[in-house]
Amino acid sequence: MSGPQNGFPALKIEKLKKTYKNGFRALDGVSLEVGAGKFFGLLGPNGAGKTTLINSVVSLARPDSGTVEVYGKDAFKEFREARRMIGVSPQEINLDKFLTVEEVLIFHAGYYGVPKKKAKDKAAELLERFGLVEKRDHRTNTLSGGMKRRVLFARALMHDPEVLFLDEPTAGVDVELRYKLWGYIRELNRGGMTILLTTHYLEEAEALCEDIALIDGGRISAQGTSAELKERYDARNVEEVYMKVIGDASN
Amino acid sequence: MLLTDRTFRTLLSREVLRFTRVWMQTILPQILTSLLYLVVFGIALGTRIKEIEGVPYLEYILPGIALMSLITNAQMNSSWSVFDAKRERYIDEVLISPMSNLQIALAYSLGGTLRGVVMGACTLLVGIPFVGINVENPLLLIVIGVFASFAFSSLGTMVGALATRIEHISFLTSIVIQPLTFLGGVFYSVGMLPDGLRLATFFNPIFYTVDAARFATLGISDLNPYPTLGMVFLISVMAFCGAWWAISHGPNLRY
Ligand SMILES: Nc1ncnc2c1ncn2[C@@H]1O[C@H](COP(=O)(O)OP(=O)(O)O)[C@@H](O)[C@H]1O
Ligand SMILES: [Mg+2]
Repeated sequence: MSGPQNGFPALKIEKLKKTYKNGFRALDGVSLEVGAGKFFGLLGPNGAGKTTLINSVVSLARPDSGTVEVYGKDAFKEFREARRMIGVSPQEINLDKFLTVEEVLIFHAGYYGVPKKKAKDKAAELLERFGLVEKRDHRTNTLSGGMKRRVLFARALMHDPEVLFLDEPTAGVDVELRYKLWGYIRELNRGGMTILLTTHYLEEAEALCEDIALIDGGRISAQGTSAELKERYDARNVEEVYMKVIGDASN
Repeated sequence: MLLTDRTFRTLLSREVLRFTRVWMQTILPQILTSLLYLVVFGIALGTRIKEIEGVPYLEYILPGIALMSLITNAQMNSSWSVFDAKRERYIDEVLISPMSNLQIALAYSLGGTLRGVVMGACTLLVGIPFVGINVENPLLLIVIGVFASFAFSSLGTMVGALATRIEHISFLTSIVIQPLTFLGGVFYSVGMLPDGLRLATFFNPIFYTVDAARFATLGISDLNPYPTLGMVFLISVMAFCGAWWAISHGPNLRY
């Protein structure tokens, strides 16, 4: 699980631009580097381009220009290697409704080439971990919202990704699960997994992220370690930094 | 590589699980429909049309009916599977996986192909006790069944990937496939048609598959069978290229 340790940053994005078909420019030249093993927070208001950025890395969005590397692998030319290293827990729930919880996990592992036996063991571990054991044989479309969220997290981890993208993971999640999840992703991060978390829930960023980038209107408006940013903007916490940077810009 | 890749095999097995899991809805009703065709057309028309080209009418129509079932199932399976996955966004999981667009298009298309072949074979098996035929060239029939199924399953993948509304999918079945199967020479020989209609039939891809299947089963056909086989092959290659293109460029897949 600890990154390839090959000296490359986990994620290196340069001058990424993305214009949607309706002409809307969602990313306007984003450059970003996420160091190996970091816990990175991408913060910004709704519509800032956070999801578009994640989707561009895994080719769910097609960028107009720019480059993306995952541990030195070109995300477009070497997409197999790059994508195999990435796990995504998406903002919107998107579970295969024909499958049971356990099948969702095992099929996901298969989509990433994980051998069956290994997938079974991993699924057992994650079902336990996310309190899904009793639901293992339930179809995903019969689960509550909170349970579906748990399945999304577990699914993202099934292929032991080096880099984990959590897109607004705690939106609409109850407090108990939120704290459990925080504890768990911290643990994964300590084990060497690079985490990129998007949120507009600033307390979450404060509690978890060592590196932070603020994004607004498709541009990175500030970037640095949590401590650096606080010093630079003479702020007591991340929320103040955010208000100074984004609040100003949008006024 | 392409076909032995575990990623690809997993998606294919997911496609098979999808239709076998709900076999009461997917497989059973289709067999009943085929039986109905045999009974209604075979028994009712069979009393008037005793035989075509020296073959008893029921025997004459059986390969075509099996093929109708094969085509409908192949096309429905992949078009609904892709469209559902797209509508509920779980196709994203596949799109961001290490699979290539080619592998994705192929897995969906082969899933439907399997369903088509299984349903075509079931229809044939169910029909044989009623009709009592020997298949002249079983190997050839299997080859034709597989290519016809692959062609229409690929068409289904393409339409599923291009569709933006549910009606697009039902249009494919009710406005395109069904009329074409009825006009594809399942129930008659094109030799029996007036010139204009006969000419029009040559633009119907289903006609070629029906004619080829009849040749393999009964040894009779409207066209010289070997160019027809080439045509069936060509149709399936073209349909798959369409599916591959649509999975790579269809709306609401990769934005
Ligand atoms: N498929 C799309 N077509 C057109 N515009 C889109 C599409 N997806 C997102 N957008 C627009 O792009 C902007 C960025 O969206 P998104 O990346 O989802 O933001 P965030 O995740 O930061 O809330 C928004 O203004 C959104 O409306
Ligand atoms: Mg978002």
